[in-house]
Amino acid sequence: MSVSIPFGDVERMLKVCAEGYTIRFATHCHVVTYNGLVFRGLPDYKDLQINHVRKLVRSLQINRECAEAQLPKLKKH
Amino acid sequence: MARQSHHRAIGQESVNVMNELTHPLLFTYQDTVSGEGFLAGITLSGRALMEEEDSQWWMYGVRPGTIVESGSSPQEAYLRFKNRYMEILFDIANESSTFEAFKQEIERFFYQPDPEEEQRWEESLKAIRRGREVSQPFSDLPRQAPEDRPSSVAVKRLDNAELNRFMPSDNALDRYFIPLAA
Repeated sequence: MSVSIPFGDVERMLKVCAEGYTIRFATHCHVVTYNGLVFRGLPDYKDLQINHVRKLVRSLQINRECAEAQLPKLKKH
Repeated sequence: MARQSHHRAIGQESVNVMNELTHPLLFTYQDTVSGEGFLAGITLSGRALMEEEDSQWWMYGVRPGTIVESGSSPQEAYLRFKNRYMEILFDIANESSTFEAFKQEIERFFYQPDPEEEQRWEESLKAIRRGREVSQPFSDLPRQAPEDRPSSVAVKRLDNAELNRFMPSDNALDRYFIPLAA
């Protein structure tokens, strides 16, 4: 199984690394906006699989060093 | 099979370029979605990467670039990826008060790039064109030249019967392709 990250930890990372971000729950998925970009594919799970979080960081062009500092599990070894 | 991944620096970012278990895919989805007072047909010609990682198969969207899903097999990853895609279409339909707003948001969703994933897709395509063998079950997929199937999305209003002539030949299954080697 892949590594998972609690949803709350991802929100804490967004607060630190994506100032001005917004998050809302649509009918099926969470919608996160930042930097004029939109990420619609965030599942409504208590724990997110690591590749969902990596995709979120890449898609919204969040500073990767900051995200990895907040969520060390994101680092690839 | 041991994974042989390669990392290289692009600016300040470390990019996992590809490994022998990274497969570039082309796919076509054709779906109908109900919205607020409209019926829309969405035909998408997309690109994705399928990759085995930590004993799971991951399907990474390239176009559209903001979806990633996994499964215990490539087939499960296809299904979960498609389900997530449909959920996003339904979310957009729920948030759109007009067909025009729906169409605009679908296009924005499709064309928002993930440059890192696009680069990995191109590298993976080059590897196939250099002669890397495509393994099962991907070797069973039909082949198609990416140049003949450019990424695109078309959103059409269907609820005006006077403007649309519906034919059985309009129906299309979800289809997946491996890029032609040459």
